[in-house]
Amino acid sequence: MLKFITAVLTSLTTGSIYALMSTALVLVWRSTRVINFAQAGQAVLTTYIGYEVIVRSGSYWVGLIMAIVAGAVIGAAIDRFFMRPIFKRITTGPIVMIAPVVATLGLLGIVQAIIGFKWGLTYQTIAAPVSTDGYRIFGSVIAFSPFNLMVLVCVTITMLLLTLLFQKTNLGLALRASAHSPEIAKLSGIKVDGIRTLGWALAGAAGGLAGMLFVPSTYLYPNAMDVLLVFGFIAAVIGGLDSLFGAVAGAMVLGFAINFTTSYVSSRLVFPTAFIILILVLLIKPAGIFSNKKGRRD
Amino acid sequence: MHNFSATKKRLLLFILFGWLLLLVGDRVGELRQYQGSFVAMYTLAIASIILLTGYSGQLSLGHSALMAVGAYAGALSTNNAHLHPVIALIIATFVAGLFGLILGFGVARLSGPYLAGTTLALAVSLPSLANQFPILGGEQGVAFDVGAPPARFGEDFSQYKWFFWISSLAALIMIWLIANLLSSKYGRSFRAMRDNQVAAQLTGINTGRLKVTAFTISAGMAGLAGGLLVMLISGVSPSAFPLSLSFSLLTGAVVTGVYSLKGVMLGGLVLVAIPEIADSVVNRIGGSEGFTATLPGFLVSALLIAAVLFAPNGPGQLLKKKH
Repeated sequence: MLKFITAVLTSLTTGSIYALMSTALVLVWRSTRVINFAQAGQAVLTTYIGYEVIVRSGSYWVGLIMAIVAGAVIGAAIDRFFMRPIFKRITTGPIVMIAPVVATLGLLGIVQAIIGFKWGLTYQTIAAPVSTDGYRIFGSVIAFSPFNLMVLVCVTITMLLLTLLFQKTNLGLALRASAHSPEIAKLSGIKVDGIRTLGWALAGAAGGLAGMLFVPSTYLYPNAMDVLLVFGFIAAVIGGLDSLFGAVAGAMVLGFAINFTTSYVSSRLVFPTAFIILILVLLIKPAGIFSNKKGRRD
Repeated sequence: MHNFSATKKRLLLFILFGWLLLLVGDRVGELRQYQGSFVAMYTLAIASIILLTGYSGQLSLGHSALMAVGAYAGALSTNNAHLHPVIALIIATFVAGLFGLILGFGVARLSGPYLAGTTLALAVSLPSLANQFPILGGEQGVAFDVGAPPARFGEDFSQYKWFFWISSLAALIMIWLIANLLSSKYGRSFRAMRDNQVAAQLTGINTGRLKVTAFTISAGMAGLAGGLLVMLISGVSPSAFPLSLSFSLLTGAVVTGVYSLKGVMLGGLVLVAIPEIADSVVNRIGGSEGFTATLPGFLVSALLIAAVLFAPNGPGQLLKKKH
């Protein structure tokens, strides 16, 4: 029973971090129709910025906020000064299909190299702001700590804020309209380019938050977020790539599947589990389990 | 009749080129022979990307993993089953091809982001899998010993020349086969599918099956390249196949011009040259450990972006831009 409770709590925590990453990928996919592989680089770069701020200011919370802000700024800058020129420049030929994706891969490499120049390849640590010792239940320590709880709370608040933004504000309406049909959105006076940049900024902020919540339980190094990118992608595919709710739900499915397999079958099966789920979803329902594609015509 | 002579011409061209390589291989030092073997290996791997991305329009980030599959298959065949290295390389090709076929049924029909992401997941997760099965040798990996060159080549036939011969010959034969394939009915079907899938389907092309075919052949080529790579570094381990290898191959393909197999050797040369250039830069201006270790990756990525931006159809495009 204790094992079960622990597995559920761990699933929720890891699932919520995957959810931030999948949300970031979905936000960019919705606005730009590109899987932003550079997201791993952006997230790790903003986490390094957060790390620097923590070293200078001594406060995790200042670092967290700075990382989120930096993530948003970097995301917006990448869209405005990198992706937009690429879309403007490459308009003909079969290369159109792959150029944006290839560009994000190149960007990922550049960002990770720059991190290597600046901070080296050594492993850094970010101390968690609250205890990482597991809670005690019935006299035994479980693998769920106050820090895990904090992660859960932070992600829940973020998701609530995002939902409010998307469902209750005009800006959210513009974001949804541009994702749904850029042409019609443009006709009704929405500045689609700006809205797209906003999507990238939101994604960058989510990535920064993901990094700051993920790294205290592990280490900070240039490739720290690669694995999270993969899990975020799988979660987004489970959710159908297009829906924010799907991204979160997909992340939870993945979190539960991975943690239950590792705690009940074998701890070696993290990647096989994730990969098999991905293949199964692609074989059986490539549009995603939580996709609402039926009502749409794209 | 015309087609026949074109095929003949290509065969002659490849034999001539092989002979040229043979002459060059005799006249350069061991370091150059060793580098030449890497050029051949990379060229083959890049050709596999060009076949997949340039001709059938699918984007794979998992070719490092497919190379690893071939590499492990080859290493296990020599090291554990004590087969002849040449047979091991053939096994590497077929095992990786079979792996590609199985994976292809799952994902190759999917387009764009799905295939790219799934192959990325494969590339990230496969090396860590290799650590978990004792037969694959963990971090140490499995040795691949190609053996000394045959005695009939004489006393002064060095190991590096032997590497160079095997790699070049394997790459030449494989690329010749692929060049023939691409000028056949298959090549035209690939291009039709890449340029307009619906139109291709209308002409009776089974695009789903064709995509799986392309993925399988590409995986087999990558497997052979992986086998060659572990021959050159005399053993396979998970760290020999990082995700960055996939990115390098993609860069090599884009730099050569992803829509033509013609200049594919250029990509191999670039990938071998980049670490050299990075080394000489570091020697000249110095730099921290992090700078030294990440400069090659930086150059590869910068080149990838530059190539996509300025010459997405290969360097030939820059030359004839004036029109």
